[in-house]
Amino acid sequence: MLKRFAAIASGPLLLAVLVVLLVWPLICLVSGSLHEGNSGGAWTLDNYTAIFQTRSSRVALFHSIWISLGVAAAAVVICLGPAWLFVRHDFPGKRIARAVLTLPMSFSGILIGFLCVIMLGRIGVVPRLMEWLTGTDYFSGTAYQLGGILIAYFYFEIPRATLSLESALRKLDPRLELAACSLGAGAWQRFTLVVLPQLWPALLATFALTFCVSLGSFGVVLIVAKRFSLLPLEVFEQIIAFNRYPLAAAMSVVLLAIALCASLTARWATHRLTHVR
Amino acid sequence: MKIRNSLIALFLTCAALTPARAQEKVVVQYDCIPNYANWGGVTAQYLKETGVRVPPDMKGSSATMAALEQEKTNPQADAAYYSAAIGYQAAGKGLHAPYKPKGWDAIPAELRDPDGLWWTVHSAHVAIIVNTAALKGKPVPTSFADLLKPEYKGLIAYDDPTIHGTSFTFVYGINQVLGGGADMNKGFDYLKALDANIVNYPRENSYNDVLRGEIPIWINADGNGLKMKWTDKAPVDVIIPAEGTVAAPLVMALVKGAPHGDEAKKYLDWCLGESAQKTMAESFFRPIMNVNLGELAAKFPPASAYRKAVAPPLNEMAANADAVKARWVKEVKGNR
Amino acid sequence: MMTPATIEAAELTLERAGESIPPRVRARRRSTAKLLLLALLAVILLVVISPVIVVVLGSFLNTSFLGLSSEQWVGDGTDANALITFQWFSYVLKLYQPQLLFSFQLAVLSVVVCILIGVPAGYLIARGSFPGRRWLEELLLLPLALPGIAISIALIQAYAVIRGRWYFVLFGHLIYTLPFMARCVAGTLRSFDCAALERAAQSLGAGPWQRFFFVVLPSLRHAITLGALLVFAVSFGEFNVSFLLMTPLTATFPSALYATYTFNSFQVSSAATVVFLAVILPVLALIQWLGGDELSKVEQGA
Repeated sequence: MLKRFAAIASGPLLLAVLVVLLVWPLICLVSGSLHEGNSGGAWTLDNYTAIFQTRSSRVALFHSIWISLGVAAAAVVICLGPAWLFVRHDFPGKRIARAVLTLPMSFSGILIGFLCVIMLGRIGVVPRLMEWLTGTDYFSGTAYQLGGILIAYFYFEIPRATLSLESALRKLDPRLELAACSLGAGAWQRFTLVVLPQLWPALLATFALTFCVSLGSFGVVLIVAKRFSLLPLEVFEQIIAFNRYPLAAAMSVVLLAIALCASLTARWATHRLTHVR
Repeated sequence: MKIRNSLIALFLTCAALTPARAQEKVVVQYDCIPNYANWGGVTAQYLKETGVRVPPDMKGSSATMAALEQEKTNPQADAAYYSAAIGYQAAGKGLHAPYKPKGWDAIPAELRDPDGLWWTVHSAHVAIIVNTAALKGKPVPTSFADLLKPEYKGLIAYDDPTIHGTSFTFVYGINQVLGGGADMNKGFDYLKALDANIVNYPRENSYNDVLRGEIPIWINADGNGLKMKWTDKAPVDVIIPAEGTVAAPLVMALVKGAPHGDEAKKYLDWCLGESAQKTMAESFFRPIMNVNLGELAAKFPPASAYRKAVAPPLNEMAANADAVKARWVKEVKGNR
Repeated sequence: MMTPATIEAAELTLERAGESIPPRVRARRRSTAKLLLLALLAVILLVVISPVIVVVLGSFLNTSFLGLSSEQWVGDGTDANALITFQWFSYVLKLYQPQLLFSFQLAVLSVVVCILIGVPAGYLIARGSFPGRRWLEELLLLPLALPGIAISIALIQAYAVIRGRWYFVLFGHLIYTLPFMARCVAGTLRSFDCAALERAAQSLGAGPWQRFFFVVLPSLRHAITLGALLVFAVSFGEFNVSFLLMTPLTATFPSALYATYTFNSFQVSSAATVVFLAVILPVLALIQWLGGDELSKVEQGA
C-alpha cells in the first residue's frame, strides 16, 4: 500500500522539489522586478522602463545580444570543421584531439577570462612574443577590447558547439549522399545540396544553445570586459554597488526572456530535425 | 541488499561531509582586500597572534555598504572597513552598532563618530601611481593636468568609484583640488576629459595589475604605490599631483547584529593596537595611533608634500555620495 | 534505425562509388578538404591548449618577464631567483584551503543529492506516464538555458533568510546539476527497451519498487556513473550562480580563483588554476573515457 502510494507520489514529489528550487525563486524574481523597493512597495513597471531609458543598460543589453549572436554564429561555422572531422574522418590522435577540444567545457568563465588576459593582456604572452619576433607588441591589450571578449566567448563555446554539431552530424544518413554521389554530385555539391539542408535545424539548435550560454556568461566578462558593458555585468553592478534589487531583477527577467526565446527556437528546430526525416 | 548498503553509504558520506565549521573561530570583515592597506599582512598577523581567521573579502566600500543593507535582516559580517565618507553614510543608514574600541580617546574627534558608530584606523592621500617601466619611455606625469595628454591614452585607470571608496574620494575631491564650486562641474569636466585616456574602471582592486604593468598609471591611495615601490621593489613612482590632493581617511565599524560580535570587538580593539597599526604602516597608510614606526618612517613622503591636500567634510561627502556616484555613472562611465 | 555498422557500410560504398570520377582528381579533392579541416582543427587546438600550457608553466617557473609579483607576505625564504619553485602551490593551498575543501564538499554533496533525486527524476521523465510529464521534463531541464546570475538573484529574492548558510550555495548548485543527472539517466533509459525488461520482471511478480531497484537501476550503472562525474565537474567549477550566493565563510574554490586573479600575482593565480585543473582534469578524462560519444547528447545545454 505504502509502495503504491510512493509510486504515485513520486511525480508530485519531483514537482515539489522543482517548485522549491526553481519555480518559487523565479516567481519571486518576477514579482521583485515589478516592485519599487527592495522589500516590496507598490507595484510598478518602472524597473523595466528604466532599463530602456538608461543609456548604459540599454547599450549593455544591445551589446549582450549582438555579441552573443556573433559568437554563436562564428562558433557554429568554425566548429563544424572539427565536428565533421570527428564524425567522418579518421586520423591519428583523434581521441586526444577530441578530449582537448572538450576541455573548456567545465572551465569556469573566470578561468577563461584569466587565460585571455594572460595571452592577450597588455603584457600578455602573445604581445611579448610579437615584440620579440617583430619588434612591435601587436595584440597588446586586445584582451580588454572587443576582440578579447569575442575570443574569450568563442573559447567558451568551442566544446559546446562542437559536441552539439557532432551529434547532429552522426545522425545524418550517408545513404542520401551516396545517392547524390551516384548522380554525379561533387563533394562541394553534396555538402551544400544534401548535407546542409538536412543539417540546418541542427545548426540553428546549436546556434541557439551557444547564444544562450554566451548571453548568460558572466565570469568571462567579469574579468575581460573592462570598457565594455554587458547585461550580466550591469545586473552584478546594480547589486554590489547600488543594492538595487528590483532593477537587477528586471534585468535578469529580460535576460531570462531572451534566453527562453532562443531555447524555444532551439526546441522547435530540433523538433523539425526529428520530424523532417 | 547491495543497493540498500550503497544508499546507507551515501547517507554516511553526506553526514560526514556536511560543512559544519563551528569549531573554527572567525571574524568576517567586509572590504578586506589583501593588497589594500596590507590587509593580507594584517589578517595573517592576527591569525598568528590569536588563531582567529579573518577571511579575505573583495568588496570595496560602497559594495560593503550595499551588502550590509541587503543583509540587514540577516547580517553575515562582523566588521566593516570603508573610506570615511562611505562609512559615515553607512552609519547614517543604521547599519552599524556603536562600539568604542580600546584607544578610542587617542583618535582626533573629527575622525571618529561621537557615538562610536565608526572610527578612523589609518589614513592616506590620493596619488598618481606610475609603473615607469610600463610607460616605455613616456614622461612620468606630475599633475592631474598631465593625465589629460593624449600620449597617455589607454594607460590610466582608477577603480570604479561606485564600488571603491578611495576612488569615490578622488572623484569627489578632484573638484575642490581644481578649485571648483559647489556644483561640482569643474571636477566632472575633468573626469569626462580624463575618460578619453582611461583603459578601464576596475571593479576589483588593481594592485597586481599595476605592479605587473598591465595598468601603467593608477589613481589610488599613495600607500599602495609606496608599498609597490619599497616592499615589492617595483619600478613605481608615487606622484602627489602638483595641483594638490585629497585626504582619504579610512574607518572601521562594528556591524549591527554581527554574528560573531564578541570576537569582532576583540579584533577591532586589536586593529588599533601597536602590532596591527605597525603592520598597516608597512603598506604606508599612516596609522591613526601614535606608534613608533622606526625606519619605516623615513620612507613616507614628507608632510610638506601634502601641503595642498584638501579634506572635504565627511558629512557633506556622505550626504552627496549617492548623487555624485549617480552623476559619475551617467556622465563619465555611461557616456561611451 | 542507423547503427554504426550500416553507416560504415554506406560510407564504404560511398567511397567506392566515387571512383566513377577520375580517381586522382577525387583523391586530391578529398585530401585537400581534409587537410584544410585538419589545419583548422590544429589552429583551434592551439588556441585551446596554449594558454593552459602557459599557466601550467607559470605556476612553477620563474616568470618574472611577465611582471613582478607581490606576495611578500609569503615570506618563506625561498630564493626568488630560482628557476623552478613550488612555493606558489603551498601558498595557494595554505591561503585557500577552506575554499578548496568547501567546493569539494559541495561537489560531493551535489553528486549525492543528484543520485537521490536526479536518478528517480530521470526515470520519471523517461518512463513515467502521468499527465504533465512533458512539462515536468521541460521544467527540469530549463535551468541549462538560463543565465546563472539571474538564477542567483531569484534565489536571493526567495530565500534571503538562509543567506550565509552553506546549503544556500548547494541550492544554487543543485539547480544546475540535477538536469545533467536526469538527462544522463533519461537518455540511457530511452536508448533501450526498458519497458520490455520491466514487463518481464512484472510478469515474474515484481512490484514497481522491486522493478526500479533490481531491474532498472542495475542497467543504469553506467549512466549514473557518468552523470555523477558530470555533476561533480559542473559543481566544482560553478561560479556564475554561487558568486552572488556566498559570503566570505561560504566561498567556493572558483571564487578563490577569481580572488587570485584580481589580487594575487600571475604566479599565484597560475598555481591556483593548476590546483583547480588537477581536480577537474582527471574527472574530465574519466568522463571522456566512459562517456565518449554519449557526451554530445548529454552535455549540450538547450
